[in-house]
Amino acid sequence: ILVILSTPIHSHRSIPHSSITSPANRRWVVGFEMAISNAAGDPAAGNEGGGERKRKRREDPPVAKWRTEGEQKTYSSKLIEAIRRVRRSSAAEAATDHSRSRAVRVAADRALAVAARGRTRWSRAILSGRKLKLWVRARACRRKPLGNITAASASYSHTTRKSKPPALERKARVLGRLVPGCRKLPLPTLLEEASDYIAALEMQVRAMSAIAEILSAAGVAAAEPM
Amino acid sequence: MSSRRSRISEEEIKELISNLQFLLPESRRRQAATRVSAAKLLKETCNYIESLHREVDDLSDRLTELLATMDITSAQAEIVRSLLRS
Repeated sequence: ILVILSTPIHSHRSIPHSSITSPANRRWVVGFEMAISNAAGDPAAGNEGGGERKRKRREDPPVAKWRTEGEQKTYSSKLIEAIRRVRRSSAAEAATDHSRSRAVRVAADRALAVAARGRTRWSRAILSGRKLKLWVRARACRRKPLGNITAASASYSHTTRKSKPPALERKARVLGRLVPGCRKLPLPTLLEEASDYIAALEMQVRAMSAIAEILSAAGVAAAEPM
Repeated sequence: MSSRRSRISEEEIKELISNLQFLLPESRRRQAATRVSAAKLLKETCNYIESLHREVDDLSDRLTELLATMDITSAQAEIVRSLLRS
C-alpha cells in the first residue's frame, strides 16, 4: 500500500498543469482509490463509490461527494503518506516546528486538491502550484502597457461598476481571494467553486481531526521510550 | 439599469445566493427561511472559509507535534488498523 501511495503524488508534481485533468490521471486516481478500499476491507464502499463518481458528473449534488466515508478514507491515506514525506525531508535539516507545520498544511492542501480530481478550478489552481501563479502575474504586469489601458478603461469602468451594488462586488472580491484560483471569476462560477471548496475543507478538517485523535490515542497507549 | 453590465441579472444573483445559503450549514442554522441579504451571506461565507483555514492550520500544528514524538511507521500502522476497524 505504502509503495503505491508514494509514486502517484510524485507524478503529480511533474505533470504540467494543463494535463492535470487528463483521463489518464483520473483513471489512476479511481484505480488507486479502489486499491485502498480493497486493502481496507470494504470493497463495497470503495468500488461503488469510485465507479459511481466516475460516471456521474453533475447529476449528484457536487458537495455530497465530500461527505462520503470512502472519500475521507482515501484522503486520510494520501495525507498520511504526504506527512511521512514531510517528516523524512525535514529530518535531514534542522527544520523548525513552524516550517514543518507549514509543510504539513501544504501537503494536506495538495492531497485535497488531488481528491477533487481536477474538476474544480480551485483544485487545479492548488496543484498547478503557487510558483506558476506568481510567474503568470509577473508576466502580465510587464506585458500590459499600463498607461494606455488605464486611460481607455477609466471611462469604461465607471459605468460597469455601478450596476452591481459596490458592497456585493467588494465581498465577491474577498471571496475570490480566499478560494484559490478564483480571483477573476464571474459571480455564479465563483459561488459554485466556493461551495465545493467549503465542502472539501470540511472533509479536510474531519480527516485531519480523526488522524490527530488516532495518533494521540496511539501515543498514549504505546508510550514508547525515545 | 442593472443589466447594463453583462448577462447576469440581479435575480440570477439572488437565486445563486439562495443556493449558497442552502449549502452553508451554519447559514441554514441561523436563518430558517428568511432571505438574507446577498452581501451578508457572502461575508458569512468568507468568514466561514477563513475559520476553516484556521482550523486546518491548527490541525497541522497538532499533527506535526504528534508526529515529532511518535515514530511514523508505528503511527501509520495504528491508523491503518483503526481505519480497518471502523
